[in-house]
Amino acid sequence: MSAGILSQLRLTARLFRRSLAAGEYKTLLLALIIAIAALTAVGMLTERVERQLLGQASELQAADAVLSSDHPIPPKFASLAAQQRLASAEMAIFPSMVSFGQEASLASVKAVGAAYPLRGQLSLQSGATQAPQPGEALIDARLRDVLQIQVGQQLKVGQLQLTVRDIITREPDAAFDFSSLQARLMINAADLPASGLLGFGSRVKYRLLLAGEPAAVNAWLAAAQPQLGRGEAIENARESRPELKEAIERAERFLRLASLLAGVLAAVAIVLAARRFALRHFDTVALLRTLGASQRRVRALMLAQMLLLAGVAALAGGALAWLAQAGLLWLIAAQLPAPLPPASLWPWLWASALGLVLLLGAAGPVLLSLARTPPLRVLRRELTVDVHWFWQYALTLLAMMGILLQIAKDIKLAVIVGGGMLGALLLLAALGWLLLQALQRWRWQGSARLALRQMLRQPGLLLAQLAALTLGLCGLWLLTVVQSDLLQAWRAQVPPEAPNHFVINLQPEQIATFNAQFAAAGLPAPKVQPMIRGRWTLHNQQPVQPQQYSEPRAQRLSEREFNLSWGEDERADNQRVQGPPLNAAVPGWSVEQELAVLLGIKIGDQLTFDIAGTAVTAPVINLRAVNWGSFRANFFVVGSEQLLRDLPSSRISSFYLPPAQRTLVPQLVRGMPNLTIIDVGQVLAQVETVITLASSALRLVFVMCVLAGLTVLLAALETNDSERRREAALMRALGASTARIARIWWLESLLLGALAGLLAGTLAALGAWYVATAVLKLPWVFNVWLPLASIVAGMALSGLTVWRRLWALARTSPVLMLRE
Amino acid sequence: MQARQLGKTVSSEGEKLTILHEISFSVPTGASLAVVGRSGSGKSSLLALLAGLDTPSVGEVILAGAALQTLDEDGRAAVRGRCAGFVFQSFQLLPELTALENVMLPLELAGVRGAEAQALQWLERVELGHRLHHLPRQLSGGEQQRVALARAFAPGPQILFADEPTGSLDSATGAVVADLLFALNREMGTTLVLVTHDDTLAQRCSHQLRLQAGQMIDWQVPAQTAALEQAA
Ligand SMILES: Nc1ncnc2c1ncn2[C@@H]1O[C@H](COP(=O)(O)OP(=O)(O)O)[C@@H](O)[C@H]1O
Ligand SMILES: [Mg+2]
Repeated sequence: MSAGILSQLRLTARLFRRSLAAGEYKTLLLALIIAIAALTAVGMLTERVERQLLGQASELQAADAVLSSDHPIPPKFASLAAQQRLASAEMAIFPSMVSFGQEASLASVKAVGAAYPLRGQLSLQSGATQAPQPGEALIDARLRDVLQIQVGQQLKVGQLQLTVRDIITREPDAAFDFSSLQARLMINAADLPASGLLGFGSRVKYRLLLAGEPAAVNAWLAAAQPQLGRGEAIENARESRPELKEAIERAERFLRLASLLAGVLAAVAIVLAARRFALRHFDTVALLRTLGASQRRVRALMLAQMLLLAGVAALAGGALAWLAQAGLLWLIAAQLPAPLPPASLWPWLWASALGLVLLLGAAGPVLLSLARTPPLRVLRRELTVDVHWFWQYALTLLAMMGILLQIAKDIKLAVIVGGGMLGALLLLAALGWLLLQALQRWRWQGSARLALRQMLRQPGLLLAQLAALTLGLCGLWLLTVVQSDLLQAWRAQVPPEAPNHFVINLQPEQIATFNAQFAAAGLPAPKVQPMIRGRWTLHNQQPVQPQQYSEPRAQRLSEREFNLSWGEDERADNQRVQGPPLNAAVPGWSVEQELAVLLGIKIGDQLTFDIAGTAVTAPVINLRAVNWGSFRANFFVVGSEQLLRDLPSSRISSFYLPPAQRTLVPQLVRGMPNLTIIDVGQVLAQVETVITLASSALRLVFVMCVLAGLTVLLAALETNDSERRREAALMRALGASTARIARIWWLESLLLGALAGLLAGTLAALGAWYVATAVLKLPWVFNVWLPLASIVAGMALSGLTVWRRLWALARTSPVLMLRE
Repeated sequence: MQARQLGKTVSSEGEKLTILHEISFSVPTGASLAVVGRSGSGKSSLLALLAGLDTPSVGEVILAGAALQTLDEDGRAAVRGRCAGFVFQSFQLLPELTALENVMLPLELAGVRGAEAQALQWLERVELGHRLHHLPRQLSGGEQQRVALARAFAPGPQILFADEPTGSLDSATGAVVADLLFALNREMGTTLVLVTHDDTLAQRCSHQLRLQAGQMIDWQVPAQTAALEQAA
């Protein structure tokens, strides 16, 4: 390496180190570190939580990915999986009669490979966990009780004689089979061919279970998706549990919004600090050019400073983020069922890259135009250079938009947040301008007049300051005041005693016995709702054909059997969004609104369901919004009582059983063997984990946001700090008393703080309302105190800087200040 | 160094203002030139043109053999880096760098090996060997200007431009700095362009140029030079 490059590098490093030590980069570095730390921490946490949830979701389907089919699965899918080095296991499920001696029962037979389950664990009464070997059978307690069979005895299914090896206490993927729950018999897949059970006309569901590295799983999904044939589908654990899906999605939206805010706030701080940074470098550049440095060299030097700055910020921000999220998880470790899987370096790399983009966007154009500073400035101090502010703003905006997109991963959300911010800024500028005009009209006296004149001398800067202060405060409010309300609203959605068991197949004549058993156990009788299974046949007299829908989910839903009910179409978790309530005596349907959109159903449409051979037709009367997170039985379609009452129906119920009273379940089944009781405690626990994790993660993000907001405030108030100090020195040199200067400063900053506080409080209250109702779909009350509290806080904050300035003023002589 | 028909016109608030008017002279290598005149007479503007910090409206400058008007801004910077040193009234040290590092700056920009050792020698030469690691704000005005002198002489420039180097200093300190400036100048054989409004300081230079409202109203050269010029 030549001496030139070496000494250039040394010079770059030295300038950087010295500027750092001199506090020149303080605000900029702080803003960058916080931006990177916030984005990294959020990214890491989301990644870890998502990995964990994915793991749990995988457990719920005993695999990372599942291909299901109504015919034997073509071998190409297994060989695709082998190419990706995925573990795989085939599985077949079908109903069959099982007998032991005189007793016989219908059971759901599950034929599994030795590798089953690929994820999660099979729990057996003996403590063992292995899947059945050929010749062996595993049964659940229900089948044991109905057949009156013991471990070691042989049962008969089809042509097979199998020895019962153990009793199943828990299957990881039990909840996955929600709709087809009967007594369980689990056998080895190798026994299937000899069983004679797979003959013509048998209703078999085939599944291919796969597990492996996420990347490999995704590669398989991508390869398999286009090759799916008729009746073949890739199942998604998230979709199979609406409660979990909703919790995860809400958590993701929450986290994304919060990190968006952190990102934007930090970006504003970076822009402000970068501007100041650039403006303070005129002298350095002029001197370097006088001493013979070319423009290219100056640019390289400035760029290198930026890179170093970004590098330091990336390291510090990454370390901070890592510590923060590790600390957080340590704090809530007791509430988590298992330690979270570790995070990768990706969130940090992403955040650092975004930080660099922001920095270059915000400071790059200014620094590059800085290189054109005329060297003559060493003689004529007033000379500056026309900075390309347009490019600066355009690039900053672009960088911000990129970041919004990256974080939101959703153009609509990015545009709403970005547009909202921009709109709010423009609105702020307009409002601020009007307010100042109004203030100017007033006939002020003495210090107030001076203060106002000072403020209005650089209206652009003043408005920028006002906007930044407002944004910073607004972010603070959204995050501190609003977050706890939002979290509370969310938690309230899953009551502590949410039902953890569902009962289906209850017959109307059994209700009395059912209730009596609960009474005997000292528990309140659960609410019972009718349930009727029906196939959707006609939509406005036209036959329903799955292939008419383009979306796979719509295809699946349209051909699936619907669970229908009547009565009770209005509850806290079921709200009518359109149309009048159902009239019990007039035929009509009430349809869940998302399903209606998916299947193209509108109010007034005639829907026909085939219920046990009877065609039932009625118009759609209303659409409902359903909160699937409520853990109660919910129905996509509800009919009026008159329409369904006389058709054969069973009952469904859900109830909460405290752990100590678990024995009620086998008692109920013994008395009423037709009952199917599903334990959703596991799903409930997972939803709670999601909420715990998400709300703790949010707290962390909020702390980051608050820090980012404070940095914005600092940067905003710092923009003309040195100017103000010089003015003060001048005023004092001209004989103004410190008290007078202080009065002017106080008036000026309190006015600015009050304006910003008012605007911020109002905006935050409106923003919170929007986020709560439109994005998170939670009930929300407008907080009237917020704007008032905000005014006080705004004044206090901007007053703090005056206090700081006054302190500096008292310590420095006018001469020193003027020389600065 | 040569100036031919130099003129500078600026427009401020729509009005054309001629701040330098048809100035021609030449200064031989190793000589010293004092530019004197009242405040606002155009001294700094002339220095800026001579050093290539600014471009003339008319006329040309030849600095160390380079015709400045043929060069672009970066070309002029290169000439400055190669041949010129600067001392200013307001010192113009980088506030974040220590005394030593400020002196090293031009050496490093020029890619000189052993910059630190050379800078150290120069600081000792201006009797600041004990203040190497102090920041400018920890130094007095006189000390800062001595650092600036070390910085200006360290790369061994052919020409030194000094704009009122004692203007910010009290007279005693100013005298010390001026003595040092002339001593170093003699030692190094540097051509010196010194802007000052102090006539005694100007007298210590071989050539004097007096400006008034942008016009060259007086031009003094040493007797033997005058004789040579007349003979030519
Ligand atoms: N770019 C410019 N625009 C307007 N006026 C200028 C400009 N440059 C110099 N002047 C004016 O030219 C005159 C000479 O300035 P200067 O060379 O700094 O004088 P001196 O150094 O002798 O005090 C001053 O009146 C100054 O205001
Ligand atoms: Mg001058």
